[in-house]
Amino acid sequence: MLKYTLKRMIGMIPTLIIVVTFVFFFIRLIPGDPARMIAGEQATLEDVEAVRENLGLNKPIYVQYFIYLNGLLHGDLGTSLRTKRPVAQEIASRYVNTMQLTLASLAWATVVGVLMGVWSGKHRGKWQDYTGMTVAVSGISVPNFWLGFLLIMLFAVKLRWMPTTGAGSWRNLVLPAITLGTSIAAIIARFTRSSIIETLKEDYVRTARAKGLKERAVLWGHAFRNSMISVVTVVGLQFGFLLGGSVVTEQVFAFPGLGSLLIESVNYRDYPAIQSLILIFSLQFLVINLLVDILYAVLNPEIKLS
Amino acid sequence: MSQKEMNPKDTKESMQNEEIRTPVSEVIRKFVRQKNAVIALAFVLLLVVFAIIGESVAPYGINEYDYSCILQGPSAAHWLGTDEFGRDLFSRILIGTRISLSVGLSAVTVGMICGTILGLLGGYYRGMVDAVIMRICDTLFAFPGIILAIAIVAILGSGLGNVVIAVAVFSTPTFARLVRSRTLALKNAVFVQAARNLGASDARILFYHILPGALPEIIVQYTMSIGSSILTASSLSFLGMGAQPPTPEWGLLLSNGRNYMMTAFHTTLFPGIAIFLTVLSFNLLGDGLRDALDPKLTEG
Repeated sequence: MLKYTLKRMIGMIPTLIIVVTFVFFFIRLIPGDPARMIAGEQATLEDVEAVRENLGLNKPIYVQYFIYLNGLLHGDLGTSLRTKRPVAQEIASRYVNTMQLTLASLAWATVVGVLMGVWSGKHRGKWQDYTGMTVAVSGISVPNFWLGFLLIMLFAVKLRWMPTTGAGSWRNLVLPAITLGTSIAAIIARFTRSSIIETLKEDYVRTARAKGLKERAVLWGHAFRNSMISVVTVVGLQFGFLLGGSVVTEQVFAFPGLGSLLIESVNYRDYPAIQSLILIFSLQFLVINLLVDILYAVLNPEIKLS
Repeated sequence: MSQKEMNPKDTKESMQNEEIRTPVSEVIRKFVRQKNAVIALAFVLLLVVFAIIGESVAPYGINEYDYSCILQGPSAAHWLGTDEFGRDLFSRILIGTRISLSVGLSAVTVGMICGTILGLLGGYYRGMVDAVIMRICDTLFAFPGIILAIAIVAILGSGLGNVVIAVAVFSTPTFARLVRSRTLALKNAVFVQAARNLGASDARILFYHILPGALPEIIVQYTMSIGSSILTASSLSFLGMGAQPPTPEWGLLLSNGRNYMMTAFHTTLFPGIAIFLTVLSFNLLGDGLRDALDPKLTEG
């Protein structure tokens, strides 16, 4: 197991290097002179030079690359052009909010998605299946920014049960978490359904039924447990997508997280912040994928044995 | 656990039917049996018609201002109400069909073409070519889709053309991986070896023999991707990175509408319904095609 984990971690290194390199060159791909763009059209030549000096853009590219790598290894992500504070500090202050939102979304989406999937799979071809899967395909198709507005109108404006925007209490998390988690719940439901249908065809399920076990025990004790191995993988992967998908939801609810920080940075052309945020999103995604792979290996005896 | 009793006469008839079915008619038969998918296909065709003739049948022009009826709700004169400039929302959504559909379709088409070529080359030639292509795909997969799209738009600048590029870039690796795995499976098939022995060129083998084998998977992925790419494109417009005013792109219409959400909710509601129904139809169509084209799925 340890060997497998190490192998996977080592396998991630080349992708990691390419991603870091991609993000480094990102700022250099901007058409025109980045220093001029950052300094603004009204800036004097001295101002532009000052920005160039500040970002180290006047040094040879390979020197810049090593300075950047060195900074990364020391947790230095540069200084935000917008707030003049270290980008790492900016990200840290918003990180907790996004993580709370993501975890809350994933938690309800997993519970609802799995239950809906099992329900549909168990009643394959019947009205329960039809209803469950219609809800699921609708959940995948709904634009989450629109869903967010509908929820705001209903629960915040009309019923006044929840606050419209902001962060800080669990009440602020409810509507954004529903918005963000809906498509994930739908994906998990669809996947759980097919997984349950496949598992219910297995010989050991037939054996369980043949020995007279109640259908409930067959479903939850045998089929459910085994079909969850692959569902866990999907849930884990969705966690990575949720972190990225939070961008739009955070914007709808004016939620102060990493996603809204990214949009603010893009609008302000705060390039050090943009490149750091993209790097953070990507690193999270890679680390989660790695953890999912390891978890899958832990849960799946076939991989463990081989 | 009940199983249907098989009537010997039925079995014989069905066997006879089975014999005269071509693969294409079999797929059509399986597809037509799925009501949801058929309705979705009809809706998609309707959207295509709207996209083509929308401009000539719309009751008002997209930029026909009428300051006497600003932010009015649905009425006989304005079926879906008006926006903050008194423009007819129904006409704007109808004419916007062309923009939203063409952005989604062109982005996925570009992604599909690039991904298919890369997948064919990687799977067929293996070695260095494959390693490089797969490494590029791994890198693109290392970014959540919308983040990659935002990054690309941040580099290229706002605008619908750049949104198409951004969505195409993040659709490419999905097609590349899919086609690569089919190519790997098919490159040593007997019919491919036969073509090689007869002296067929690599290009001919790739495009005439291997590609048709990967086509069912490509078609399903293509249809499924259109829905998600329309969603991503409208999300980018909503974030202010895609279409710019006064373009009647659905995501932008919704984004404009939110400023008047409290007083004129219809300006947010209707563009959202348009996006939702369009994406839903493409997803249902994709599901239907997958079920019709997948040989593993048995009937019933």
